[in-house]
Amino acid sequence: MQASIDVVDLKKTYPRRGREPVRAVDGLSFTVKPGSIFGLLGPNGAGKTTTLRILTTLARPTGGTARVGGFDVARDPLRVRERIAVVIQESAAELFLTVRDNLTTFARFHGLRGEEIGRRADRVIAQLGLDAEVGRKVMDLSGGFRRRVQVAKVFMVETPVVFLDEFSTGMDPLLKRSVMGLLRESARGGRTIVLTTQILHEAEELCDDILIVNRGKEVARGDLHTLKLLASGVYEVAITFDRLPDGIEAELAARNPIRLRISGTTVEAAIKEPESRILALVSDLSRRAQVLRVEIGGASLEDVFVQLMDGENGGGQP
Amino acid sequence: MTAIGAVMYREGKIRATNLTFIFWDVVYPLGYLLVFGVGMSRAVGAALPGGLDYNAFFLGGVLGMASFGIAANTAWSFFMDRDNGIFYEMLTYPLSRSEYLIGKVLFNVLIASAQAAVTVLMARALLGVPVRFDLLPLLVAAVAVGTAGWFFFYAIFALRIRRNDAFNTVTSIFYFVFLFASSMFYPLEPLPAGFRQVAYANPITWQVDLLRYATVGAGDPSTLMLEALGFAAFTLVTFGGALWALYQE
Repeated sequence: MQASIDVVDLKKTYPRRGREPVRAVDGLSFTVKPGSIFGLLGPNGAGKTTTLRILTTLARPTGGTARVGGFDVARDPLRVRERIAVVIQESAAELFLTVRDNLTTFARFHGLRGEEIGRRADRVIAQLGLDAEVGRKVMDLSGGFRRRVQVAKVFMVETPVVFLDEFSTGMDPLLKRSVMGLLRESARGGRTIVLTTQILHEAEELCDDILIVNRGKEVARGDLHTLKLLASGVYEVAITFDRLPDGIEAELAARNPIRLRISGTTVEAAIKEPESRILALVSDLSRRAQVLRVEIGGASLEDVFVQLMDGENGGGQP
Repeated sequence: MTAIGAVMYREGKIRATNLTFIFWDVVYPLGYLLVFGVGMSRAVGAALPGGLDYNAFFLGGVLGMASFGIAANTAWSFFMDRDNGIFYEMLTYPLSRSEYLIGKVLFNVLIASAQAAVTVLMARALLGVPVRFDLLPLLVAAVAVGTAGWFFFYAIFALRIRRNDAFNTVTSIFYFVFLFASSMFYPLEPLPAGFRQVAYANPITWQVDLLRYATVGAGDPSTLMLEALGFAAFTLVTFGGALWALYQE
């Protein structure tokens, strides 16, 4: 089966006056299968958005090749654009047009005509909960609704590939859940979804395949289970006490946790230690204060991410 | 053609959200002709070279000014689109960069043509300007190519300049230099030699001279032929420049 996206040794450098050029993308190679949800993750400045800009024909690569839907992004940008729908990172909407006109105008660019546009607009408006705002100009809507209109547009068309750059910015949790449902449904229908996000549990919930990048290079690649193996031996512990035991923060910090957060009387930590020592720690803490709730789980994608970035940055904070 | 049509549809939709804007677009050259033209006509009398009445002389100028203004406003819309984020999203739509530019300019050519039609008809009806209706195809061509040439010219700056205020300064300078160092408001023959040379090298002089010939039949055909070729070349070069600037985005 032909890959939906095929990237080979992709490079993008930006020249800087009097200084070394910036290597935003530095030899990335990956493929994305049709009908999959692919997550491109990394810290700020890792090269995610630049990679997406190249794949969506907004920027030309300095080296390597990238093909979307079988077409080279540099040689056949128009053929690529015919096959993609994009939600860029910045808010993007026709502010002077109504919500409905935003959707119908977008559909026209993708070659839709006549009653079909109206039918699709009705469906998408209902799916995205835009019924009450349909006749309002986008300039009069809140930031969250503007983002909703922007995301709604990709469901107006049936392009085989969708790119979403931080799509959930400004969305409330209910809408985010419903958009995630629509994205999963689209993928089941054969559409390829490529997304970048800083919200790792979003990627954990959605993505079949994840590529973690840093400084323009691949750091890790695989499905969620494969990536979690990279953090084997990492446990997430969350304990709520009636009162915080004395000195708990220093005690946990001494164990070099991957993450440590204390909020009120709840302690959350991701610790890389053998299972027996984790259980001993919980048992010890439970003798010093009353435990109201305890949860012990395996590593999350966030733990994997933090651990990988920590390694990349020589042990410092990412 | 589908892509160009979609860009035109979008431009039309945005313009239609403000009817006052459309109304002003269409009638402002006429207003200029009626206020400035009539005032100047009374002040300078009918003693222009060639015995041309000032209103007849100024009709071509006012049409040139209108297409220059529409072009500047349309180019400024790149800033608005960039601020709204829609500019970059549009660059991922299934249309080539040249279709994007052409679609944008074609809608404005329609507006400029409507504007020219209203202005010419009213100039004939209200001011008695002896309009040469037999030269109408030439008038349409001069308005269309003129609007396109100036739009592409301004687009280069709108796409390369990042700051709205900087672009506004540039357009103010262009308005001053291009409009006043040209044959738009006055005949060039009585002017000092240096001024005349600058005006003859100014593409708006070429366009206005063509518009003047296309409206009232004034001008020397051999000079006009050169000016027409010059303006066509100007339009092609600026189109190339605008396309280049768009590819840099």
